[in-house]
Amino acid sequence: MNHAIISCLHANLPAVEAVLNDIDRQGIDTITCLGDLVGYGPQPNEVVELIRKRDIATCQGCWDEDIIDGLNACECSYPSQLAERRGHLAHQWTDDQLTDENKSFLASLPTSLRRDRLLFVHGSPNSQHEYLLPDMDAFAALERVETAGADILFCGHTHQPYVRELRDGSIRVRLQNADHDCDQGEELTLPMRKIVNAGSVGEPRHGSTNATYVIHNDTTDEIEIKEVPYDVGRTCQAIVEAGLPKVFAWRLSHGFEFAEQAEDASHVCER
Amino acid sequence: MIERWALVSGLRGDLETYDLIQRDLKKTRGVTALFVLGDLVGLERNCDALLDRLRNPHRGDLKPDCIYGWWEEQLLAERGFRGERKADALRLSQGEDAVSALLNTVNPSHLKWLASLQFGFIELDCALIHGSSSDVGDNLTSETSPLILLDRLTRLNVNRLFTARSTKQFHLELTGGGINSQVKDLNGKREQQQEVPKRSVIGIGAGLNYTLYDVGSDKTHFLTASSTTNPKGKGFA
Ligand SMILES: [Zn+2]
Ligand SMILES: [Zn+2]
Repeated sequence: MNHAIISCLHANLPAVEAVLNDIDRQGIDTITCLGDLVGYGPQPNEVVELIRKRDIATCQGCWDEDIIDGLNACECSYPSQLAERRGHLAHQWTDDQLTDENKSFLASLPTSLRRDRLLFVHGSPNSQHEYLLPDMDAFAALERVETAGADILFCGHTHQPYVRELRDGSIRVRLQNADHDCDQGEELTLPMRKIVNAGSVGEPRHGSTNATYVIHNDTTDEIEIKEVPYDVGRTCQAIVEAGLPKVFAWRLSHGFEFAEQAEDASHVCER
Repeated sequence: MIERWALVSGLRGDLETYDLIQRDLKKTRGVTALFVLGDLVGLERNCDALLDRLRNPHRGDLKPDCIYGWWEEQLLAERGFRGERKADALRLSQGEDAVSALLNTVNPSHLKWLASLQFGFIELDCALIHGSSSDVGDNLTSETSPLILLDRLTRLNVNRLFTARSTKQFHLELTGGGINSQVKDLNGKREQQQEVPKRSVIGIGAGLNYTLYDVGSDKTHFLTASSTTNPKGKGFA
């Protein structure tokens, strides 16, 4: 059966509507959302209400968490000080706009969802703020999936969709300085695991303006990355009208921002 | 320069043990540094005398460089040095009585100093941490999955991780292996191969069990401080 995974909607209603239409057209009725319903974009209440109305299983994103807990994330969430200041502006604006009811919905979201061997999180199983970038250390990537006890880990947060397969892994170890000097060491064979990043519906950064999401077939394990065009201009105009930083509109109309990618994928926020 | 480190942990207020280790080290050739990897305090006994000695070494003591461990973390959290967090881990594992016992073993005059201790040291290509970069309570042993050990080394980007939390002494070396990775995105597919780097995790022990590390030759020596006084030793202080 096919099911769809969406992430990082970021209060961009036209993008969310376009993606949901695309999913509906294919007759897929299981949708999982990996969080970041709000932040950056101009329609936080509308997007949260749409997700609630459609009753889409959702885990909490980094923005959803910060709106509830306040901005106590360490600066590792932002790649630069400039980005941090703009992030704070958007945070404040979103905080002012969101209704109490929608805030309590965000507060009620779980940090992960599990269906058999599939695990759904926003950033990583460790934190909503950890980036699992496509080229991060392969052993560290596998450790995230394996320690969480999953076969396939679905995540978002990087806004770049990808499917990563980790296979044929092994680690040889030997005890030094042990009582039994004859220790020949042993070899651990690592299991095959996958990380699937759903990209971003409302704030894509993969080099195109199209919204992205993924479809997984849970019988064949085939995974397809989907791109959906939507009316970017409408969202950009709403961003400007809302008084949000214009750079968010610029970013949407370009589809990426080279200055704002996390540099250290292995960094874990320890607050 | 030939460097030899002494690594100690889990003293938990036991000045007598610390004194025995200091005596041992005096008789040991070439020790250039003494690292105390946390758990200076505990709830079994009053810790003030040990803390005094660590902060104001005796003449002839090898000067200790200390970091904080799991027990300091519990104490400092309960004393309000960790924001909202309290000694939840201790409370959960040993109950309310243990928390109050811990508070009573350390004079508040030591708290500021304890709070000033670092989480870990990076020396050369080695990390010295009570647990791991993941958590001060991360309990790494030679039985821990090598995948997790490698992850902890990778997070710090060091070749050796000295850890104390498990109280065990071990020197586990990652000697080989690899992994294949394929990334598919909207631009296509790419393959990647990665080797296991030659790295180690070393458990330094606790209490009387301590470790010497020869930096140049990458050799560990697991020792136990002897309680018998060396008859040849001169008894001056
Ligand atoms: Zn996001
Ligand atoms: Zn995020």
